Formats: sequence, structure tokens, C-alpha cells
Amino acid sequence: MNDIMIEANGVTKTFGTVTALDGVSIQVPRGSVLGLLGHNGAGKTTLVNILTTMLPPSGGTASVAGFDVVTAGNEVRGRIGLTGQFASVDEQLSGTDNLVLIARLLGASRREARARTDELLNLFDLADAAKRPAKTYSGGMRRRLDLAASLVGRPDVIFLDEPTTGLDPASRIGMWEIVEELVGGGTTVLLTTQYLEEADRLADAITVLSAGKVVAAGTASELKAQVGKRAVHVTLAAPQDAHTAVSALTRHGLAPVLDEAHAELRTPVETSSDLAVVVRALDEVHVEVAELALTEPSLDDVYLTLAKNNAA
Amino acid sequence: MSTIALPRWRGTGTTAQIGILTGRSLRALVGDPKLMIFSLLQPLIMLLLFSQVFGSMAGTENFPAGVSYINYLMPAILVTTGVGAALQSGIGLVSDMKNGVLARLRSLPINHSSVLVARSLSDLIRTALQLLILLAAAVVLFDFSPQGGLLGVVPAFLLALAVSWALSWIFLAVGAWVRNAESMQTVGFLAMFPLMFASSAFVPIDGLPTWLRVVATINPLTYAVDASRNLALGLPVGSGVWSALAASVGLLVVGAVLAVRGFRRPLPV
Repeated sequence: MNDIMIEANGVTKTFGTVTALDGVSIQVPRGSVLGLLGHNGAGKTTLVNILTTMLPPSGGTASVAGFDVVTAGNEVRGRIGLTGQFASVDEQLSGTDNLVLIARLLGASRREARARTDELLNLFDLADAAKRPAKTYSGGMRRRLDLAASLVGRPDVIFLDEPTTGLDPASRIGMWEIVEELVGGGTTVLLTTQYLEEADRLADAITVLSAGKVVAAGTASELKAQVGKRAVHVTLAAPQDAHTAVSALTRHGLAPVLDEAHAELRTPVETSSDLAVVVRALDEVHVEVAELALTEPSLDDVYLTLAKNNAA
Repeated sequence: MSTIALPRWRGTGTTAQIGILTGRSLRALVGDPKLMIFSLLQPLIMLLLFSQVFGSMAGTENFPAGVSYINYLMPAILVTTGVGAALQSGIGLVSDMKNGVLARLRSLPINHSSVLVARSLSDLIRTALQLLILLAAAVVLFDFSPQGGLLGVVPAFLLALAVSWALSWIFLAVGAWVRNAESMQTVGFLAMFPLMFASSAFVPIDGLPTWLRVVATINPLTYAVDASRNLALGLPVGSGVWSALAASVGLLVVGAVLAVRGFRRPLPV
């Protein structure tokens, strides 16, 4: 059963004159994790909101678990869990009451609701705080309760919108372990994040969004390969030399990426002998270099390269 | 995770959803009765102050003969407290939008209108409790004993409750569209004070300056107050009660339609 659990075809969304999504297509097979990577405003949350039926798309089609998000919203909502950027829990109610409420609304009997609630509270290490109102919970506990709330109905598909934003490092790792367990249990996950480390660790496939468009898609290693095996990082002594340096490197057949704010150049290279090419090229045009380094690629490079190329 | 493939729960009908959600709000009320106690303070203070300040008005020429001021005032306080509670209903909806409760509910396979109906019902129960406590306090502390007796006070109470429920749907509609607690407070405050004072709530309108008398005569609150008061005092009510009820039904229908429409719009993201 390796069918597609989340599918978007040319989804667009406009808010007045602002285009938040511009023809986004994704496919997520059952039991896999798609990492949706992008900076603030890239359109990640808008896409999640459309896939979870919270917002209607302006164009294109999308389906979750085989149900169209526009025409079969209730079917979709019955099969998904959603954990947004802000914990959606009732602060007045205890952890137990929050989860029981959801289970009952989903159609569980009192006894079933109670059993599922206890199971989740134990799983998420909230059993000790079960009776306390959620407003007394720490940020990490609230996030865990929120995630537990989205799992009450044993959803086939889970949407996690920046699940670790604002969490301390220990809570973040705890959240990662929970996601890994879920995936081990066969759940399909769509995860948005600004953290490359998070996507690298959790996602089977990564889609990079920038300004409402998919600018890259593939596995973490495919994306890394796309950028080059290694890169030469150059920090210029004088920022005004930046464009001279870029054209010099381009003349030598390289593809430098300029980070103007920091007067830095990142040039993907095939072999370490290309380091000499970079030095020679910059020397020819008398550009002074403050710092020079050969670095191994990381997802950061992928992200920066793609985001920059797209902005240029 | 040791998730066994259990059958999926089959969802719930709208009636069950309303029941479950109403229960949730009432549980929150029992768990944190502060809101209810605070909202009782204002009418109690008004009872205390107004009965002292305006008490001497009883027996003057425009005042119904043989009626004490507290017996005149209390039915109006029931109505104005109900109006205040209706405003709270809208503010409560807006704050649920802010704190994420509604975001969670909207992600579930339930009828969106259930959420609104449940809030309205739990607020109706809360308002009924408030008015009953207020009545008890008025009897015990202020010697409220209107000529209409229990057979007058109970219909007066029910009428105030009906007006409050109808107005709560108007404020729910405002909340569902405005979605901002501060604006709600301001709109509510600006609407409430003229409605309360330019009416027959605290003094007979015949004693008002001419311009204010005109305002009070067209103020719908005057009719609700007069009907509730006449019931409690055992005075002839005429068609007043039926007009008040008909107006309430109209407000309720308009409010409910607008509230459901406003509520269906996506939450701000």
C-alpha cells in the first residue's frame, strides 16, 4: 500500500493582491515524511492550511488520504491531525479534559475516550500534569498536549507546522523522537520547518518553498548533490568588490552565490583543485580576500543557494 | 508506537456535538467561577447605589403609585444584566478565536455551527444562573417583593432571559465578523450606556427632558424593561410582552444567520 496520501496539483492562493502560493505541487507517499522548508512568508503555513481544509485554495486541486480538500472537507478532517505553530488547547481545561473532549467529538464513548486519553498522556509524559489546567503548563508541555490532541483520532496523516519553533533544545529533541515513533507506526507526516537540521533528520523528502513556489524537491542528499559536493567560502575585505569578484569567478566557469549583507561568496566546486582557480580568479581582478575556506556542503547551503537564486 | 489498527470512530451527530461542547463550557465555568462572580458585581452595585440615589423618587408624580423604588428597579436590572451577559457571549467567542480553542475545533470533522450553538446554550445557562442569584440577592438584601408575586417575577425573569439570548446571537454575529476583543468591548460599551440610561430602566420616561424622552420612546430596551416590570409588578402588560418576544425572535434569527456566516470564514492566519 504505497499510495499517495497527500497530493497538491498547481495549488495557488492569493490574498487580495498578494500571491502566497503560486502553483505548488507535492506528493507524499503513505508512511513517509515530507519536510517543507522555507523562511517566514514562503507559504508553508498557507499550504498546510489549504491541505487541512482551514483555507480554500484560489486555484489548483489538493487531496488528502484520497479526499478532495474542498469538496470532502469533513472526510479529510476525520483522517488528519493538525499541530499548528501555536498550541491549540483549551487553557481553562485540564490536559485530560482537553483530550477527552476531542475523543468524544470524534465519536468515542466515555470509556474509549478515557482509555485513549490515558494512553496519550502517558506517551507524551503528561500523566503527572493530567489534572491541572493547561494554562499552568510550560511551553514544551503545551506543545506535547497539542500534538497529543491532534493524535486522538489515530489520524492517517499528520500535519506539523513548525512543531519545534520556540522550544528549548531538550524539548525539540523530545519532539523529534515522538515524530520518529509516529512514522515508525506508519503515519504519513508533512512537517514544515525553518530548521534544516530538523528536515535533514526527520524528512524522507524535502520540498523547498520560496515566495510561494517550489524551488527544489528531492531527498536531502539529492539536494546536497544539486549544489555541489564542496564549496569555497570567500569573505571579501571590501564589500564594494563583490560584483567584480562574482564576474571574475563566472568567467572561470564557476557559479558563485553572493551574500551581499555579509560580503560573502559561496562557490560550489567539483574538486579541491578548484580552490586554486578561485584564488587565481580573484587575484587577477585585484580583489582582496579577508577569509577563504573550503567547506563540505550542508542543507544550509542548499537552502541559501536556492533561496538566493530564486530571489535573483 | 504500539498502535493497533483499531476501527476509526464514526464521528458524532450535530446534537451530540452541541451537547459535548456545551458541557465543556459549563465545566470551564464551574472550574473558574470568577467571571460569573465579577459579572454579578456590577448589577449588585447598581442595585445598591440606585436604590439609595433614586429611592426618594418613589411616590413622586410620574412614578407608579404604591410601588417602592427597588420593586421598580429590579426588573430593569434583570434586563440590563441580561444585555451585559449577551455582550460577554460575543467577547467570549472572540477570545476563543484568539487562544486557539477554535483552531483545534475547526480541524475536527464536526459541524462548525455546533460550536456557536453550544456557546450560546452554555451562555444562556450561565445568564439564567446569574439572574437567579441576582433575584435571590435582591429579595434577601434589598427587600425586593413586587406586587406580582412569584407568578409575576418568573415570567419577568424568563422575558429578560429571552431578550438576553436573542441579543447574544447579535453579539455572536458581531464577534464572528469583527474578531477583535477590544473593538467588541468598545462597540458594546458605546451601545450599552445610551441604551440603558435613555430608557425607562431607572426612571419613568415621563420625567425625562423632551429630547431624551423621544430617544427613550424609540429605544427597544424600554419595551423589554416595561414588559418585564409590568409582569413583576402585576400591572396590565398589554401587548408589550408579545412585542418584546417577537422582536427577540427577529433578532435571534438575524443574529444566528449572520453569526454562522461570519463564523464559517477562515480564521486569520
